[in-house]
Amino acid sequence: MTASTLLIAFPKGRLGDELVPKLAGTPLALDAQALKSRVLRIPTATPGVAALLLKGADLPRYVAAGVASLGIVGSDTLDEMDMDLLELADLGFGACRLSLCAQEGVTLDSLRAKPHLRLATKFPRATEAWLTREGLTAELVPLSSSAELAPLLGLADAIVDLVQTGGTLRAHGLVETAVLGHSSARLVAARGAYLSEPGRLRPLADQLTALLRREA
Amino acid sequence: MPVRTPHFPDLLFDSAARLRRWEAALMGLLAAQGYRELHPSLVLRESLPEGALRFFDGDDLVALRWDFTVALAGLLARGFAAPPDRVAYAGAVFRRPVQPWEAVERFEVGCERIQPEGERSDEADVELACLLMAIPGALGLKNAILHLGHAALVRRPLEAEGLSGGLADGVVAALSRRAPHRVREVLKGHPAASRLAAHAEALLSELDGPGTLDALGASPYAHLLEGEREHMDRALKALLPILPANLELRVDLADVAGLGFYTGPTLRLWAPGAQQELAAGGRYDRLFPDLGRPWQAAGFCVRLSRLLDLAETRPDLFEPLP
Repeated sequence: MTASTLLIAFPKGRLGDELVPKLAGTPLALDAQALKSRVLRIPTATPGVAALLLKGADLPRYVAAGVASLGIVGSDTLDEMDMDLLELADLGFGACRLSLCAQEGVTLDSLRAKPHLRLATKFPRATEAWLTREGLTAELVPLSSSAELAPLLGLADAIVDLVQTGGTLRAHGLVETAVLGHSSARLVAARGAYLSEPGRLRPLADQLTALLRREA
Repeated sequence: MPVRTPHFPDLLFDSAARLRRWEAALMGLLAAQGYRELHPSLVLRESLPEGALRFFDGDDLVALRWDFTVALAGLLARGFAAPPDRVAYAGAVFRRPVQPWEAVERFEVGCERIQPEGERSDEADVELACLLMAIPGALGLKNAILHLGHAALVRRPLEAEGLSGGLADGVVAALSRRAPHRVREVLKGHPAASRLAAHAEALLSELDGPGTLDALGASPYAHLLEGEREHMDRALKALLPILPANLELRVDLADVAGLGFYTGPTLRLWAPGAQQELAAGGRYDRLFPDLGRPWQAAGFCVRLSRLLDLAETRPDLFEPLP
């Protein structure tokens, strides 16, 4: 890899698990050997283009700072962080809902009626926006993982979390009581790199979009 | 152990010398075109915004100068019955950064072209663009890109559709991200959604040379924006024949940065591979009328702090010093 290598930030976790197979066999496929190792900077099948594997919450920072020229990240993360970067395409895959979830039998009206509502979430910004729209107030309990446990153990009355199939919710006896928004994978770009070198970045961005939208 | 606070970077020998040299070169360039220096006070006492560095001077809340254009506008509106037509400035501004890696203290050089309301502004806009085109050479930048935009390309369609407040802000934020799909999301269910989404697609379809203006033909607001298109076309015809060899001119129809401030053509200077624009400006005809003066103005600001960072991180972008 050289100093002029173009870096694309790919997410680890749920989105990354969907992304890597989609790129298999394409010019932007990630090197299989490197993927098996603990290396976080992975060559692709295209010389001069490499991938960084990053946690979703860190990824927008790498792109906004111009360390990575392009990146793929969920729109839920983008909305929470509000970083200064370009969002070139909705890639369609990784679709899920941002939902208010509570134990079976708890309704939205019963949550509304609580004098002191406590909501546990990884998405305080989206939750606050929804509370404002609904004219509600609540104490937000910030969590970074395993939010499903919060209502079961009395940490909160309900949670606001991403729901894809609903399997995790069902396994914990939770149900969706309201949908706050939708999320999907987005192709993002560093503002400076894209605007100052569109001839270098745009073809790669178009290629990524075409490859990832094929089966979305 | 001494701590170097990243938000208040100290300039050591080479950087300090470079700053002095660049300031002198740019102020010399501006003075040669008739721009006279004004130096507004470092401490401001009026309309202090959130991001300013505020402190108490006795019982009075004051702030360090956060923006030269605002400081100069106050000075000119208070002290001049008729404005000097060309002014220049150099020095530091202090404001809390939007991005965590930006410095609070930023060095700038800039200029403003001020006219009585109602005068034709085409020539002033081209004059400023010509000056900005000379900046890369004065700074020793090997190559640069000048983006030409126009604030009305977004504002007028929004006004024509009666969009304001949060909805208009949402559309502008989506365009700033260059995300036409976000425009559709923001306007879902609005009667103008399909028209404004098509307009966004047209604005974002190209980022290239003069041919980019043709993309406006695909917009549902092409007729409404005919005047702006002609204005940009005239500017391009004036600028392209005198474009320096190391400068590329691009039309950026979707430039919405500072849309609440700018009212007409906008200019942004980039270097290939730079993460931030190195100079920016445009026409802001509402500034002086809001201060009770019937004047119109345009100007630009060269962000020397960003250039100093760029010289440290990408020395290959600059000509070697003699």
